[in-house]
Amino acid sequence: MTLFDFQLLAEEQQIGILYEQGVYIGKRKEEAITVLLYQVEGFYVEVFYRFYRRHIEKLRSSAAVSILEPYLEQIDVDQLVGQC
Amino acid sequence: MPKNIVFYADDDTDDLDLVQDAFARYSKNVEVLTARDGSQALHYLSSLSEADPTPCLIILDINMPAMNGKEVLKHIRTIERYESVPVVLFTTSSFPQDESFAKKYNAGFVTKPLDVKQMEVITELFIDHCTDEIKKSIRRHLQ
Repeated sequence: MTLFDFQLLAEEQQIGILYEQGVYIGKRKEEAITVLLYQVEGFYVEVFYRFYRRHIEKLRSSAAVSILEPYLEQIDVDQLVGQC
Repeated sequence: MPKNIVFYADDDTDDLDLVQDAFARYSKNVEVLTARDGSQALHYLSSLSEADPTPCLIILDINMPAMNGKEVLKHIRTIERYESVPVVLFTTSSFPQDESFAKKYNAGFVTKPLDVKQMEVITELFIDHCTDEIKKSIRRHLQ
């Protein structure tokens, strides 16, 4: 699946893809918002929660590696390499 | 009537809260005990006395400091008391090798939810791993 295909899906379908195929990368906080980052094939998706794992405020998807920056310290390279 | 103990180990406090909240509706006869890392979990489980109740379900996050959930699972399966206690590996990503590991050690494998609808299903999945007797006892109190 490409980023373009993913972005064409309804949010509920995007959540389904993330749940089944997403590889968790990390977590960060933006004041009251908790953000989780997942990788799906060649792109990344951030999930923004006002209530953690309960209510999704929005999804943000991107293929740019700059999305990884706030999570770099948490990334477990060994685990990602293990998936290759 | 003594409460059924669900033991949950996770280093993420948000996830600890999430699971505790999910079991709140069963609070009449389920008590959730928690540990913040794998080593603390193993220490607690291996130091229970004969008089202490054995957890009816053990939920282990895979990625934890000190000792990960897979190592805890491997260790507790060598302890007679936990040979057949239902265990679920609770994980943020669904890696096939982790799922195979869970199967090898006779444990369930559940991916952490993305929203509240999934959490309701997942709590039911957790309870499905319990023995029939415990399942009945937990669900009876909801009716």
